[in-house]
Amino acid sequence: MTVYESDLPGVGKKHEVELGDGARLVIVTHNSGKREVFRRADADSDSEKLFELSDQLARQVGTLLEGAYFQPVQTDEIETLLGGDTLLEWVEVGEDSPVVGRTLADSDLRQATGASVIAIERGERVIVSPGGEATIEAGDTLIVIGPSEACRDVASMVRGD
Amino acid sequence: MAAALLELGHLFVVLAVAGAIALRLGLSVIPLYVVGGVLAGPFVAGRFGLPYVPNGEIVTLLAEVGIVLLLFFLGLEFSLDRLLESRTQITRAGVVDLVVNLPIGVAIGLVLGWSLVESLLLGGIVYISSSAIITKSLIDLGWIANPEAEPLLGTLVFEDLFIAVYLAVVTSLVLGGADAGTGSIVQSLAVAFGFLGVLLLAVQYGTSLFARLLGGAGQEAFVLRTLAVVVPISGVALALGVSEAVAAFFVGMGFATSGHREKIERRLSPIRDVFGAVFFFWIGVGTDPTLLAAAAVPLVLAVALTTPAKLLSGYLGGRAYDLSKRRSLRAGLGMVPRGEFSLVIAALAAGGSTPVMREIIPAFAVGYVLLMSMLGTVLMGQSSVIERRVFRDPEEGTEPTG
Repeated sequence: MTVYESDLPGVGKKHEVELGDGARLVIVTHNSGKREVFRRADADSDSEKLFELSDQLARQVGTLLEGAYFQPVQTDEIETLLGGDTLLEWVEVGEDSPVVGRTLADSDLRQATGASVIAIERGERVIVSPGGEATIEAGDTLIVIGPSEACRDVASMVRGD
Repeated sequence: MAAALLELGHLFVVLAVAGAIALRLGLSVIPLYVVGGVLAGPFVAGRFGLPYVPNGEIVTLLAEVGIVLLLFFLGLEFSLDRLLESRTQITRAGVVDLVVNLPIGVAIGLVLGWSLVESLLLGGIVYISSSAIITKSLIDLGWIANPEAEPLLGTLVFEDLFIAVYLAVVTSLVLGGADAGTGSIVQSLAVAFGFLGVLLLAVQYGTSLFARLLGGAGQEAFVLRTLAVVVPISGVALALGVSEAVAAFFVGMGFATSGHREKIERRLSPIRDVFGAVFFFWIGVGTDPTLLAAAAVPLVLAVALTTPAKLLSGYLGGRAYDLSKRRSLRAGLGMVPRGEFSLVIAALAAGGSTPVMREIIPAFAVGYVLLMSMLGTVLMGQSSVIERRVFRDPEEGTEPTG
């Protein structure tokens, strides 16, 4: 990917990003912080304005595009962050999950990842502090606590990838 | 006191109304502020026996602050590094712009039998395009993301640098050498360049001082400290017979590298806008529209000759940036609007001693800026129609960018 940078005296800066099909994405950053985003189909055509964002919004959208914000849906809530790097995470167990029908003990989740299942939500019921013999069923939601890395590993083990 | 406050209130009401009309019509505010000043001033409202805003000391002082802040902002935006970075292209486009347009204005003055200084003033007025109007139009039309924005903005940077030197010289000629011999002109030029040289050194080596001065200041202190540097230095310049505008430009350059540029722009641009509006109003207030008749001949000549001249120089500037013919034509259309700096030169001329400088040139500048700002914005807005007309052959119109 090539990015072309140029100064726009009195206005701000312009960055052009090659999109691969001959088109370019043109981002004009105004001195005021406002970003304007254009697309130019090819070298001859005029830039077509796609949208504009305030400075703050542009930064937020930027981190989203970068992928820094991605987490399973439930952890969007700040309450799940327990301080440090510890998360409380809700992991849904799908129909074809490899852990369906297995007990917590043989699913090996804690040994493999370091995160513990502290509760299982099953419909209306919640099994609090499930023991090793508790069986995981399709449709359950596992409530997992542990370092964020470990929680992510649990989620991927449950999804089976 | 009450009368003065009322006067000022009157002024701001007119400016607010003019701004609202500009917004409604989609025009630049600059010509409408000027028209507002003409209508509300002694020569129109006063003649009809209506309450009017006199061309008094208060308005003049606020307008002066407006000039200082306009040029200060220009200096802030102006970076030597940037100029050096793309110096070949900027210089080529800028020099073409200069050698095509400035001599045409000077020639018009000489043909009309004006003195060399008067003709030089006319040359400056028709030469300098309006950074404010052009930049705003570029953003409004979305051209800012197109390749033609670069020659346009690059040429404006060159013009801005040239105008700083030009103002320094012409101020000395108008104020210092009017009724004296060559010796006194040389002397006032020496004073001007001496002072500006000292200022340039201070700016060059004072960056850390500027940075310290503004570092850690709260919003209010920040604004006040900036003004406390710019305004007194400009005042000293003017007291020495040196252009206050150029001094402000240099101070702006000094602040540009202090690391506070963006903050200054954000916090001081409302102040610049207020005083800048008063400046345009003041230009209008000082203009007797009946003098426009006396300025009609230079006005017709200038519009007829300088519109195609700017088109040509802008086109060549675009070619210097390796743009296609179509885009280069657009760069030409984009250079047509004239505005704030033509009026700054006119304000300088009004301080001169001959009737041409005091009356004809300011009236000419007002008429010229009104016509060229509107003509220029219309040309930019209608560029697609013009491009189709010029490049009937689609092959030529879609020639790839170089």
